[in-house]
Amino acid sequence: MMSLRLRLSLTLGAAFALIWALAAAWMLSDLRNQMMFSLDQRLVASARMVAGLMEQLPALPTKGEGTHFSAEQLNVPGGMACQVSSLRGEILARSHTDPQQKLEAEKMGFHDQMIDGAPWRSFTLARGDLRITTADRQIEREALNMSILLAASVPVGVALLGCLCLLWLGIGQGLAPLNRMRDALMRRSADSLEPLLIQPLPSELQPLLDTQNQLFQRIGRTIERERRLTGDAAHELRSPLTAIKTHLQVARMTDGAARDQSLARAEEGADRLHRTLEQLLLLARVEGSLSFDDGVQCSAEQVAKLAIQDAASGDRQRIKFQVPTKVSAAPVQMPAVLSIAALRNLLDNALRHTPSDGAVELSLETTDNRVRFVVRDHGPGIAEADLQHLTQRFWRNGQSTGCGLGLAIVQAIVQRCACTLRFDSRPDGLRVELTMPLQPA
Amino acid sequence: MHVLVCEDDELIASGIVAGLTAQGLTVEHVATASAARAMLKVAEFDVMVLDLGLPDEDGLKLLQQLRNSGLEIPVLILTARDSVTDRVDGLQAGADDYLLKPFDLRELAARLHTLLRRVAGRSVNLIEHGALTYDPSSRETMLGGQPVDLSRREQSLLQALLHNRGRVLSTEQLKDSVYGFNDELESNALNVHIHHLRRKLGNGIVETVRGLGYRLGPADGGDQSK
Repeated sequence: MMSLRLRLSLTLGAAFALIWALAAAWMLSDLRNQMMFSLDQRLVASARMVAGLMEQLPALPTKGEGTHFSAEQLNVPGGMACQVSSLRGEILARSHTDPQQKLEAEKMGFHDQMIDGAPWRSFTLARGDLRITTADRQIEREALNMSILLAASVPVGVALLGCLCLLWLGIGQGLAPLNRMRDALMRRSADSLEPLLIQPLPSELQPLLDTQNQLFQRIGRTIERERRLTGDAAHELRSPLTAIKTHLQVARMTDGAARDQSLARAEEGADRLHRTLEQLLLLARVEGSLSFDDGVQCSAEQVAKLAIQDAASGDRQRIKFQVPTKVSAAPVQMPAVLSIAALRNLLDNALRHTPSDGAVELSLETTDNRVRFVVRDHGPGIAEADLQHLTQRFWRNGQSTGCGLGLAIVQAIVQRCACTLRFDSRPDGLRVELTMPLQPA
Repeated sequence: MHVLVCEDDELIASGIVAGLTAQGLTVEHVATASAARAMLKVAEFDVMVLDLGLPDEDGLKLLQQLRNSGLEIPVLILTARDSVTDRVDGLQAGADDYLLKPFDLRELAARLHTLLRRVAGRSVNLIEHGALTYDPSSRETMLGGQPVDLSRREQSLLQALLHNRGRVLSTEQLKDSVYGFNDELESNALNVHIHHLRRKLGNGIVETVRGLGYRLGPADGGDQSK
């Protein structure tokens, strides 16, 4: 596409030139009319003057054809012809030999006529029995007209050119900040995410620059997060894979009990890989835009029971669930899969951090439009500083055996489904409060 | 060869320990940076395998700190992070080699041998000593062109002596190299292995330095009658 400067200059320049041309045409045509009128007036004045002279002169001979007065004698201006004729058409006197043909003097007033092939403009005045005709050449009129036109149009043209030049320079000056911005952008490498610094910048462009810089910042943060995530994911997937591969190789090198043990450990690694993969996929689906709605509706109590069933199978009896006496039967207003997964992950987490002889308590209560689950473990709790890491992907507390995704998934579900999540760590265990919306009754 | 493996993932660590042991190396395992420091203080190691993601401290920081405090043994970094920056950072922190998870146990052992060989200034992976040649990767021992059958302990003992040519090794150092810490040790077990080695490779191969320990002696081939 054409450059902004060229486009602006062409548009404005064309508009400018057009308006000036129209104004000039108007002015010049006016000037021409005025001049023609003046020249006509001169013909009239000359004819009247000659008529006045004729009255003072002695009577002309009736057959004095070919009598010549010089233009000076008749006192008519140069370039103008004058002819005095009788009513019958006899020429009594003329100012010059040229034109040879006599002037047409039949009609009174102004008249355009061709004489010797050249156009003339004539004026005939009747005075007594004389007819006085004055005439001048159209060519001379046009030449005069042309020289006036030329004299008037040269300054106009020069002014117009000057204006266009100033326009070009002015637009260039006005667009300079844009050019600076363009240059600054072109100097950057394609993957640079440093903020642009351009000073000074007009107020119209400042918001553009600000938005641009904010965008750079956001992209930078996103890329950094993705980079960390892929790095983490690579680590989390490669670790169990390494365990599997290593133990399989050991199994090939050894035999007997050592081989069996290695195979068992390889299987353990495969289980861990499987868990991590499942959780990663769930997290990706929750964070994506896929729909989870399968039409199944669960009440809060059903959600709790299903989550307990799904939680770490061997430890199920360690979960103490107190069913409240009065509980709303309204279904939870979110996909059942997600509400169960969120609660199950909280229970898994609690089981993992409670000594194997301790219990995990789950309680629930409902208000008009929300259900509140509280999961309480009997672990050592968690340091205040680590609370913020809890929902971070792949973060584990100490030597935890989890894959580090459980609470990240809960957080993703919370964000997707208008739930709330709150952690309260005390020395006697961590309490996690999860609320979900209920469908209005 | 006495190897210190510093790896926090218990499942992987057990695999490495079992795999390297099966390939004739003597392996010690620690799971944290602090345990690694303590272990390096109390025992002699020939090479260290270091995982970067340790729970108590970043592996790179540990390595840098160990290098600053004068650790000279070769270090091989074992990690699941594969970006070029990670690798460059690792090598700059003082690592000698870099192996990406998942890896092949045979490759790990081969690389450890290569690191040791480089430290010893040899260009071929074959230790020659008089009429004796020993290949650390295939663990083949030849004496005067004839293969000699050595047990795993005897190989470890011979390797420790070959790696420390001219130096006197104390009984404790030899025990570290041959058994590591985890093996229950009978008091005269080392003497039994030294005896076997002398019987198979000639009496002079292990010299006793009274009150100090043992040293590698000349390998003069089939002179087994002495």
